[in-house]
Amino acid sequence: MASLQNNAHPEPAKMEQIINEFFAKSLHIILESRSLYVSSRNSSCDPTVTSPSSSSSSSPSIRSRNKWFNLALRECPAALENTDLWRQSNLDPIVVDVILMKRQGPASLSPIKDFGRWNADEEEMGVEAKSEKIVERWVLQYESRKAKDSNSSSRRSSNNSCSLYKKLILLLRSLYASVRLLPAHKIFRDLNSSGQVLTFTLFHRVSSFAEPFNRKEDAEMLKFGFTPVDTSCGRLCLSVKYRPSVSDVSSESSTPISPRLITDYIGSPLTEPLRRYPSSGLPSHGSPSSLPFSRRHSWSFDRCRASPPSIVSSPSPTHSEPRTSVSNVGSRRFPPSSLPPHPPEMSIGQKNKTFDEYYPSPIMSPSPSPSPPIYSHGFLLSRALKRSESAPVNIPTANVANCPKNAHRHDLLPSPSRTDRGLNMIQYGATAEKLSSLGRDESKRSSGLTASHALPQISFSRCSSRSYQDDSEDHDFTCPFDVDDVDMIDPSSRPGALDHVHMGEMLETGGLYPIRLSQDAAVGALVHMLKKAPPLRQDSCTSEEFSEGATPQTYSINTREDTQIQESPILSSMTSSGFLTRRTTAEALEEFQGYKEMKNSLLMPGSKPCS
Amino acid sequence: MNCEVCQLKELELEQFEIREVLRCILHTILFHRALGLVRPKDVDLELFDITYAQCGEDELEKKVDDKIEQFMSWVEKHPNKKSQICLSFYEVKNKHASWFSNKIERLYWEQWYINLNVTQHPKAHSNKSHHSKVADPGEGVLEDRKARSAVLESSLREVLFQIIKFVDEKKDHVPPIPSLERVITFPFEITIPSSSDSAFGMDMIKRMLQTGHPTMLS
Repeated sequence: MASLQNNAHPEPAKMEQIINEFFAKSLHIILESRSLYVSSRNSSCDPTVTSPSSSSSSSPSIRSRNKWFNLALRECPAALENTDLWRQSNLDPIVVDVILMKRQGPASLSPIKDFGRWNADEEEMGVEAKSEKIVERWVLQYESRKAKDSNSSSRRSSNNSCSLYKKLILLLRSLYASVRLLPAHKIFRDLNSSGQVLTFTLFHRVSSFAEPFNRKEDAEMLKFGFTPVDTSCGRLCLSVKYRPSVSDVSSESSTPISPRLITDYIGSPLTEPLRRYPSSGLPSHGSPSSLPFSRRHSWSFDRCRASPPSIVSSPSPTHSEPRTSVSNVGSRRFPPSSLPPHPPEMSIGQKNKTFDEYYPSPIMSPSPSPSPPIYSHGFLLSRALKRSESAPVNIPTANVANCPKNAHRHDLLPSPSRTDRGLNMIQYGATAEKLSSLGRDESKRSSGLTASHALPQISFSRCSSRSYQDDSEDHDFTCPFDVDDVDMIDPSSRPGALDHVHMGEMLETGGLYPIRLSQDAAVGALVHMLKKAPPLRQDSCTSEEFSEGATPQTYSINTREDTQIQESPILSSMTSSGFLTRRTTAEALEEFQGYKEMKNSLLMPGSKPCS
Repeated sequence: MNCEVCQLKELELEQFEIREVLRCILHTILFHRALGLVRPKDVDLELFDITYAQCGEDELEKKVDDKIEQFMSWVEKHPNKKSQICLSFYEVKNKHASWFSNKIERLYWEQWYINLNVTQHPKAHSNKSHHSKVADPGEGVLEDRKARSAVLESSLREVLFQIIKFVDEKKDHVPPIPSLERVITFPFEITIPSSSDSAFGMDMIKRMLQTGHPTMLS
């Protein structure tokens, strides 16, 4: 407004500026309530972001831009980025497609926003995923009048910049209200409510031209055209085509999940239907911009933690994220091959590390988003829930498929990846609070032992979550979320040592096996894993050495002999005792000492013939 | 200056729905007419799956809520009656200082008529008088209520679209935005049916005296 009252600029320049800003503002209004990247709803939960001007992060230019048309909006990175792109394009039309996508599609989708490019990609997408649907198409364009009648009409419409500005204010108010009334807004709302896990998502494409709808689509869409606003040399047109009903999609797939379900998720058949939820594969679905807010939090965590070098500092994470993760995935991809099972020690060591080093710090820090913690809580709980729910089915395979890769990687990378650590942590969180204290009790040898008992379950829950994810994608996206799940662990439970008796009970009742496998099958899986396990190094009883033993180096150095000899005791003790008949530190220690002697005696005669 | 009038589609609703529906409609209109720097606030209705924008002005909110309360108490006294609420925008002009020297003239440039048909359904009634019976309404009643609520929701949506369209189509009559840095750029008033229904004539006269403009009587 200020610029309008300033008469230093000639009228045409003012006009052009107004038109430019109108495009920008319109785009902002539309994307603000369609782009899930930054949701106004979520940010409104955060008192610091309730009003755009209160956000200290915004630069003055953004703030003053925000006053245009007397409509101050929340910041919307997606809009900002697209606006900046558009500004270079000299009054091209803006076409915004709002697309509803079901999540069971293939993994390689990514929203294309680069101007002029999306046609080609659109074709690709059309082939790969049939489950996306344009629910809204906004078309914003400036029709310039032909030179010959421009004079007369400009005089007739007597448009001075003030009257134009007023009309555009009114138009934008209407746009603002109607964006909230259209059916797509309901989807946006649903996706933003934390209590729901949805199988669909929204994303948008901003382009400079529209790919025409086919006849069927066209028939399904309703059109609402705002009255064009005349300017001195043309007119501004804004229209929307929208699907009058999107309820078929949004209603069928919403499943309210309440975080409190976590208490009885173990082995509950009730929760099983959720296992198939393709939404777990969602990060790969190309539109992180359309991810629920809370999840993005995890994403950023992932980026900061797991792959700092590959972070793309684009203003729109929409684009950078998929790529980041993909580049990231190279080291984290777990092909479902039959590699040797995950050595138990690895996890134990990681657990110890996890709690000692990483538990307190990383929880929320790297998120640039104003995501309220409570959101992520609920959400992550539900993630954990899903993960564990999925456990029942394909434990052994998944276990074999995924876990070994960890070990593999650890051989290559001396320091265990954080994502893996986080993974273990979530498993704790998801399993039971008691488990979370496992890693804590380092001074006792038995903690390691107990941890290895818990391990099968731990590996299962994690691997199984991968297992169905693998169906739709190759990337290991589980980990980043898990890291956040640290939140879930009640800090108060940390220092407490594991209640062994209780553990035993849980095991006996199948509590730790959320699995409907038979006990025998579970034992079998465990045995299989233990067979491949590296030694526990019972000659070192101190915690340092124990955790040292968990490092990859140690693992790889271990001789075969050691492995074979040392694993047998554990194995036998577990299989014969049904895991946990004697579970005190003393007993374990005693047992191990016995086996140590046995090993020594075995090694002695064995070495003699050789030498 | 011509005064544009918009008659909004009549809504049939129950008493407990009045507050939300009126808030939604009134704020939507006001949002379109508050042409100062606005920081919009999204409000989700509780009874319906509808989101509307509000200017986020406390003062405005209070004024609207007060009027709604007045209307509610009027409805209590006059059940099962169609009623009309009028939201009018005007400009203030100092009348030529001849006869009534201090008189301020209101020039109405726009009027919105919200038409409501407040009904009382059996359920709603029992809800109020016999609290114990609330738990066991017949299934038919529940179904009925659901259906009615769905109808109201879609009608309310229609009304909101009606507002948007009206605003979109008619822009010329809106006075120039005063340069004052205020959110509410134009004065407005909300008129509800008078509480003294019997003394309708009196009320008319009162209003005429206040506004000097009898056209808003419906």
